[in-house]
Amino acid sequence: METVLQLKDLTKHFRQRRGETVKAVDRVSFSVRKNEVVGLLGPNGAGKTTTIKCIAGLIKPTSGEIWLDGIEALRRPKKAMERVAALLEGNRNIYWRLTPRENLEFFAGLQGHTVGKVRGYIDELIQLFDLKEKDRTPARKLSRGMQQKLALACALVRQTEVLLLDEPTLGLDVETSYELRHVLKQMAAEGERTILLSSHDMHVVQDICERVIIINNGRVVVDDRVTNLMKLFEVSAYRFELEGRLGEEQELRLKELFPLLEVSATDHRTYIDADLKDGTQLYEVLEILKDGSTQIKSIGHKEPNLEEIFLTIVKGQLR
Amino acid sequence: MRLLALFKAQVKMRYIYLKRYYFDTLSMIVTMFLIFLLIFYGATALLGGTLAGSGDTLEGIVVGFMVWTFALMAYGTLSWGMIEEAQQGTLEQLYMSPLGFGWVTIFRVAASFIVNALIVIVVLFLMMATTGKWLNLDFLSLTPLILLTVAGAYGIGFFMGGLALVFKRVQSALQVLQFVLVIFIAAPFGWLPIMKFLPLSLGTRLIGKVMIGELSLLQLPPGEVLFLIGNSAFYFGLGFLIFKFFENVARDRGLLGHY
Repeated sequence: METVLQLKDLTKHFRQRRGETVKAVDRVSFSVRKNEVVGLLGPNGAGKTTTIKCIAGLIKPTSGEIWLDGIEALRRPKKAMERVAALLEGNRNIYWRLTPRENLEFFAGLQGHTVGKVRGYIDELIQLFDLKEKDRTPARKLSRGMQQKLALACALVRQTEVLLLDEPTLGLDVETSYELRHVLKQMAAEGERTILLSSHDMHVVQDICERVIIINNGRVVVDDRVTNLMKLFEVSAYRFELEGRLGEEQELRLKELFPLLEVSATDHRTYIDADLKDGTQLYEVLEILKDGSTQIKSIGHKEPNLEEIFLTIVKGQLR
Repeated sequence: MRLLALFKAQVKMRYIYLKRYYFDTLSMIVTMFLIFLLIFYGATALLGGTLAGSGDTLEGIVVGFMVWTFALMAYGTLSWGMIEEAQQGTLEQLYMSPLGFGWVTIFRVAASFIVNALIVIVVLFLMMATTGKWLNLDFLSLTPLILLTVAGAYGIGFFMGGLALVFKRVQSALQVLQFVLVIFIAAPFGWLPIMKFLPLSLGTRLIGKVMIGELSLLQLPPGEVLFLIGNSAFYFGLGFLIFKFFENVARDRGLLGHY
């Protein structure tokens, strides 16, 4: 599949007041294929927003190249801007005194689309984002969630090849965040947009993205498919839930076998967390539990989640 | 075609603001008119019977006030307007237009000029009705002259808008400058030849010659008209270049979205 977005050694240094320079983005390279949905992850200050704003032409990189659909964005910014729209973090991105439809028409015009040409699409967006009832309400009177949906619609109405979404669900309540995720998922599933999305919210990324790029301290540390990452970090972690307390001797025997095993207890329950090399080691644990006639309430297998994977990688980087 | 779409979008937005927030529009007209009344009756009282009846000065106040209203709005569109866009986070969206921020701004200027002209006409008629001095409204001569004169104010607006992008806390400077515009238009020391190098001054004088002196554009001294063209091109161009300079600084430092 063809590449529509490519960064080559993108670097951005910010000069601080005392003459020090901060490397916000440090030789970042990656590419995104047509209709791919890629998540950009990283802790605060890792360089996600700077990277996105460089692609959007809002920050001038110190060095490196940005290619959008075969166009070198830094040399031909206007041509490049025909191919990219962005929903930026921490901004309203929309005009508060205009209604949803007026906003959509304005942003279509900003892209050079005539109202006649996009009217059908605007109707579609209003439908998709459930804005019909609020069609005549100025944006400032909409709920935070509605405003964010409208902002996303305003980025979509530009009908660009590439869509950049910087923290699209930040500051939304659980319900609206879920709703927005649902729309994004739908869009991703339709596979008609190339999306680069940055988020703190692992649910969003896990839900929507096929691939993740993790950046830390301005550098790419991981660039892989979500499924591969899951496999890489797959551990045979089990949790045993037991009735009552574990005998002292039992605990000693278990720890002898599995040094990393953890035992925790509440009033009536005991929990054992253990990483087992393979499923057959389960019998050894069960054997020990059987000897004490311990009642087992449940045995669970823990799936890795993206959040843990992310934290493991980033912490590993910090050391 | 794409540029036309952009132009239409800008005009439509101004029109919606004017109509939906008609109370804002109305209160602006009323405020300007009240300030005018204050100046007008102040001047009448100050100058007493000697000058008040005789004409030129009071008519001059009407003309000067009209230019000031226009200049204020022109200046505000770019300076306060830029700050507002930065605050609401739409400035970055404007920057991402594939037609270029230059066209986006030029069309904004054009759209605002059209809308402002409507407001100024209302204020002007109110002023003429109050003073009973009906001035020569030769639109064919006045339109280009006003456009040229106000271009200087747009230039200053660009300059301040650029400053605001980088330095952020320029609100008080913006306010002070609104009154500096008055000095350009109606310097208290009368007309000096050196003033034609300032923005707005020469233009106001030529507009006065049309509205009070009842001359047409073609009857004005060609040298002065040419000088006005040069003066306006200079201030508008300089303001725009300085704006572009600050815009580059803002893009380099990543300041476009912050306010």
